[in-house]
Amino acid sequence: MEEHPEVLKIEQKFPSWRDMLKPVTEKDFKPGFYHYPILEKDAQALGIPYRDWDPLDKDWKLPPDWKETFLNKFKELLDKYRSLKVFMDICVRCGACADKCHYYVGTGDPKNMPVARAETLRSIYRRYFTKIGQIFGEWAGARELTEDVIKELYYYFYQCSLCRRCSAFCPYGIDTAEIVWRGRELLNSIGVSHRFSFISIAASARTGNHLGLLPGGVAGALQSVAEDVYDITGIEIEVPVNKKGAEILFVSPSADFFATPHWYVCMGYLMLFHELGLDYTWSTYASEGGNFGTFQSYELAQKLNHKIYEEAERLGVKWILGGECGHMWRDKHQFMATMNPPPKTLEDPVNPITGTYFENAAETKMVHIAEFVADLIKHKKIKLDPSRNDHWKVTFHDSCNTARGMGLFEEPRYVIKNVCNYFYEMPEHTIREKTYCCGSGGGLLTEEVMELRMRGGMPRAMALKHVHKRFGVNFLCTICAIDKAAFPHLLEFWKLPVEVGGMMELVGNALIMKDEDQERTTDLRGNPLPGRGEE
Amino acid sequence: MIVPLLEIAVPYVAFAIFLIGVIYRAINWAKSPVPLKIPTTCGQQYTLPFIRRTIYDRFDSPYTKWETIGRMFFEVFFFRSLFRNTRYYYTRHEHRDTRFLWFFAILFHWSFLLVLISHLRFFLEPVPGWLEFYMEVSGLKGAFVPEIYIPGITAFVGLLCLFGRRLFLGKERTISLPSDYLALILLISVIATGLLMRYIIKVPIEPVKELAIGLVTFHPVATDVHPLFLLHLLLACTALAYFPFSKLMHAAGVLFSPTRNMPNDNRARTHVNPWNPPYKGITWQEYYEMYKDQLDEIAEEGYKVRPEV
Repeated sequence: MEEHPEVLKIEQKFPSWRDMLKPVTEKDFKPGFYHYPILEKDAQALGIPYRDWDPLDKDWKLPPDWKETFLNKFKELLDKYRSLKVFMDICVRCGACADKCHYYVGTGDPKNMPVARAETLRSIYRRYFTKIGQIFGEWAGARELTEDVIKELYYYFYQCSLCRRCSAFCPYGIDTAEIVWRGRELLNSIGVSHRFSFISIAASARTGNHLGLLPGGVAGALQSVAEDVYDITGIEIEVPVNKKGAEILFVSPSADFFATPHWYVCMGYLMLFHELGLDYTWSTYASEGGNFGTFQSYELAQKLNHKIYEEAERLGVKWILGGECGHMWRDKHQFMATMNPPPKTLEDPVNPITGTYFENAAETKMVHIAEFVADLIKHKKIKLDPSRNDHWKVTFHDSCNTARGMGLFEEPRYVIKNVCNYFYEMPEHTIREKTYCCGSGGGLLTEEVMELRMRGGMPRAMALKHVHKRFGVNFLCTICAIDKAAFPHLLEFWKLPVEVGGMMELVGNALIMKDEDQERTTDLRGNPLPGRGEE
Repeated sequence: MIVPLLEIAVPYVAFAIFLIGVIYRAINWAKSPVPLKIPTTCGQQYTLPFIRRTIYDRFDSPYTKWETIGRMFFEVFFFRSLFRNTRYYYTRHEHRDTRFLWFFAILFHWSFLLVLISHLRFFLEPVPGWLEFYMEVSGLKGAFVPEIYIPGITAFVGLLCLFGRRLFLGKERTISLPSDYLALILLISVIATGLLMRYIIKVPIEPVKELAIGLVTFHPVATDVHPLFLLHLLLACTALAYFPFSKLMHAAGVLFSPTRNMPNDNRARTHVNPWNPPYKGITWQEYYEMYKDQLDEIAEEGYKVRPEV
């Protein structure tokens, strides 16, 4: 513990079961752990009941019939989701999930154990929907639904990043993400909603992406990326946007248009597609792969992912390629085709360069960029110079959603091992299906919960520290936009001199392009390449 | 009057509650639809042919029906997910495999199943050969005199260990509700009275067997059994009747868990949500009208963006 920053003390507490049933209220809310409430314009845009309130107020000004609304909604969700009903009933509180949660590990707060997080809702379920709970009350682990309980639900349902790590260890597969997702929907029904998620959702519903970029903004951003590509490679790349009749629609998270280090990943996309001569297009209407609706409710998730299929149909593309993003891929892999049936105009996803038929994407027609690139490399369709990444000692962070919501483990590793020479794995219990969250997923990527995020990211930071010390790892490769936004803060906090970047950045670095007349002297970030050009 | 009531009515009622209760709960679960296919993928997905999938990947991230059945099989009979368990050590910031929970759970559940099987000897007349053989094996015939049936002992030890966890470990104590202790205490007392009858206070077996056969053949006869056996019977009936109302339903619930019983073939076979609502949101046309100028500008450029160099 001696090397931790002073500010972070982890105090584990073990209260009694009776104390666990007492709600944590605004009196105990700590700054850095609670979220700001929804803004009026976003609430109006999305039809969520709005009033002026603050989490630190004693009175949250709940609507007069809030209790009835909440319980009716609860009943409705139980009847709609077998997952919720079963998960409310079958937990045996074995505790296997307890220290699997990075927020529990980082905060020591007993209510951050996944089982306890679920119990906050389960106790209400027992009281209102089971006989035993009605008769025995507290002794059966049931409690009344009060305003204080609502406060507790809001506090703890937004201390979960929906990473599903606990679900991998649960002997019954109880998925806290499923419970929290439903729980947030319950809170939304009475207007206790979250600012950050809804800013992005409202923006995406209107403009097509979370950042709220208008069509000109998307095109302008792509132009700037192309200019950066020109600076590094000397190649002028034309970027197709909204082009009808292209073969492939390419969709990536909108952070790739603006943020760093996402930017280098976007450069990588453009370089690769240019080198292949791929017939593809970006879209301004479907300019967002990510889906913050998946953090809030089924209807909102459906609202946001609908645009991709609608746009694919309008443009007449054959299939859809998706960029590097985490929850985007949980949405695209597990939800999208169920929420919005794929249009009939789409055709089988076949890689036009290698002829490979992506059988595992046969119906939804969406292929992950890592699958696409791995296929290209296997068929030797692109020339690579991995030594251009020799200044990086790389490790790979499995993003929660591509790991536990998709099972994408080997494809990115296959690509990374082919584009760089130094690759090291983090400790076994922190990768693949046991991977740790960056601490900022699930709608938590917001400034007001910075302490929570730094604590939640601690296990990942410790694993990274291990490989940094042992192998000198200086590059954390990830395929998630939220990771790329969250890790720079996290690593600064934990004092780890490691850069963060994406898989496609490494591919872009290593890619030998036909039209390039001279040897590259820098990587995509402008860092000089060792042993080349001026030293 | 009271004895026939306890010996005959109570077992029938308890069994009826158990059966009806479990079926009711299962139907109740099944009535809620599964809107989304949400397997927790704990292994490499089915993908390009050159990406290797190990045997573990097949069961932890199943693609076919048989692989999914395999996953459920290992989950139900070998507690696959629990076997993955680790523990976080703050002092070193490390995880270590910790399989003791898995071991206690396996020890209890399997032993208990074997104990239940050996109880068949009270219900079957004559006792079939395989059961005789099974009793000899589980009693390690020849090792002890009189024979000690190993499963009975290990089930008891397993339960005590599970109970001890809840008492002595901080996290586990915090999350344990009274109902968790109740379930454990019930089972412990059922097994304790059973062991007591077999090894310490020897109970005459004949009336017990007569009663048991009467019950299963629906010709119940009240017999003069030892009070300790009566206690054992009543405790077992209580556990049976309590089962459908309690967390013991996990035994059936695991089969309904959508994160385990669904294949990870989402993109290859689309799952249909029976209550899928119609799309509500802006269409391309509305979007176009909102940002007409900018979109037309992109069109004028020939749907291409060129770097300015």
